[in-house]
Order: sequence, then structure tokens, then C-alpha cells
Amino acid sequence: MKEEFIEILTNYQGILHKVNLIYFRNKSDREDNFQEIVYQLWKSFPNLQNKNSIGSWIYAVSINTSISKLKKESRIEYRDTLHESLYTIDTFEEIASNENFRLLLQAIYNLNKIDKSIMLLYLDEISYDEIAEILGISKSNVGVRINRAKEILKQSLNHLNHGN
Amino acid sequence: METNELQNIWKNIDAEINLKSKDDLNLLFIAKTKRTINKFLYVISVSIFVCVGLIVFLIITALNRKTDVFYQINNLTLCLVAIIALISSLHEWYKMQNNRYNQPLKSWLEERINSLSKELTGRFSKLYLFLIPILYVLITLSIHVYFENKSFIEVLKTEESVVGLIVGAPIGLFVSYFAAKKIRKYYLKNLEYLKELHGLLCNVS
Repeated sequence: MKEEFIEILTNYQGILHKVNLIYFRNKSDREDNFQEIVYQLWKSFPNLQNKNSIGSWIYAVSINTSISKLKKESRIEYRDTLHESLYTIDTFEEIASNENFRLLLQAIYNLNKIDKSIMLLYLDEISYDEIAEILGISKSNVGVRINRAKEILKQSLNHLNHGN
Repeated sequence: METNELQNIWKNIDAEINLKSKDDLNLLFIAKTKRTINKFLYVISVSIFVCVGLIVFLIITALNRKTDVFYQINNLTLCLVAIIALISSLHEWYKMQNNRYNQPLKSWLEERINSLSKELTGRFSKLYLFLIPILYVLITLSIHVYFENKSFIEVLKTEESVVGLIVGAPIGLFVSYFAAKKIRKYYLKNLEYLKELHGLLCNVS
């Protein structure tokens, strides 16, 4: 069972990295959260019945774990607001080569915690049905929320573009 | 910027992320699991050690005072509370560890909100407030009576014991009130956070 789990983790680890990236600016927080997600995935692995929905399962566990970690460590929120510039450097050192990507990520950071995950799922081209399943809301609700998050994101990007 | 353009930009991330090798993931997985199990064993060991130590003390001292009925009742009460406290704390810890993250975000939030609301408003939510000062007095009495070499009633009648009770009980009450308030504040903060997220998720207006 462990071998199968590690195999799945190896193939789907990109999801964990992306969820980490939108929620945590600090590298060590991302590393901590990565480990916590791996552990929570392992705990719920025996209950994974539908092997066709591995992606949805990984997204759900990753998002729930990250949100829970943010709750436990409110200091992260403090860092986000007060020491933004310091931790921005840490985030971008790994992905500094693409200016558009930096701007997009900066704009995502301005979204609230729920819209961040909705936007991540949308940008990863997950279907509305799957997003609805991962978040536990209706498909129509997903559509409304995505449109709203996109608008906020575009405004934020415009603002950042003019700022540069 | 068009939305499909955003998706195209986002796709770059796959090339930029430093993916971990299978061996690294395996090592990380083993280390994390081991650390968590060790933490679990540590908490269980300390709880069992404290409770078993207290129970052994209460049994030995009660056996040495077979004729003192009130002392026996005092120790028996403490023994029962110690056993219940051990079982309930282990159960709570298990529940805390058994957070089901593999469900839709909305269900997960609702489950956490319900569980925290129960903790804050449930039947036993204020139990610790009364239990801690009572236990404090009973344990102090058990130790004090045993080392005074007098009967339970005799010790209670001395001026020293009355003063001890008058001073000790409010201190115990204050400590328990302070601790319960702190825990309640922490739970309320978490509850507010979860409710805020639930609101954000459900509010489409």
C-alpha cells in the first residue's frame, strides 16, 4: 500500500506544490505544509475508493489542510500583511524567471482564502463539476464564484501592471 | 488580460516547480509519520504516567488508612475522576488527530464548526471550571491528611486545614477560571475563522 501511495504522490505532487504556493509565501511554511498534506493524504488513503478521482481527493485534502494550518498559525496572516516585501522575495526565488507569472501570483495573493482555491482549480483547468465536488458547493455557485474571482484578479493585475 | 491567457501563464508553473524525487518523497513521508507517531506516544505516555502515578498513590494511601471511611471516599472519588479524565483526554486527543480532511471543503468546515460549537455550548463545556478547584481541594486534602497521621475529620477540624481550604479553594477556582477562559477564547477565535470561511464559500450574492 505504501509503494502505491508514494507512486501516486510522485505523480500528483504538482498539486501540493501549487496549493502551497498560493497559500504560503514563506519557503519553510510551504515545506511544513507539504509534509502535513502528505501525512493527511496517507491517513485518508485507505478511504480512497474511486481511483479515478485521485486528483479531486488530493486537491480536497491539500486545500483543507492548508486552510487548517493558516488557522492554527495566525502568525502567517501577520506576515502576509506586515512583512509582505520580505516574504515575497522568498516566494519568487524559485520562480523568478517569468514576469507575468509573478504578477499573476501577486494578484492571487490579494484574493480571499476561498477565492484562492477556486482560482487555483480554475487555472488548473479542473471542470466545474469537479470543482463543485472538491468544494462541496453547487455547480452554479462555482460559476458565479469563478466569474467574480476572475474580475477581482483582472482588476488586481491591471493595478499591478500600472504600478510597474 | 483574457482568462485563457491567465491559464496559459499559470501552466508555466509546472516547468518552474522543483519536483521532489521518489526517494525524497519516501524519506519525507517516513520522517513525518515517525515524528507524528512519536508525538502521539509522548502525549499518551505522559497522560498515562501522571494518571497511573496518582491512582497508585491514592490506592496505597487508602490501604494504609483502612479504618478512615471519609479518607477512603475522598481517594475513591479522586481515583474515579483520574480514570475518567485519562479516558476522556485520550478520546479528545484521538478525535483531534482524526480530523477528516478528505471531504469537500464545505462539509469539512461544517463538521469543524459543529464540533467546536458543541465544545463551547455543550453539556460539559463548563465542567472543568468546577472540576479543577474540587480536584485541587481533594488532592491537597488526601496528601495533607496522610502525612498528618490523623483521621480525615480530625484534620478538617484543625484551624490550619480551614485556613488552607479558605485560601486554596479560591486559588483553584481562579486558576481553573483563567484556564477555561483561555481555552474558550482560543476555540471562539477558531470558530469565527471557520464561520467566516463558510460564509465566504456559501455567500454568492
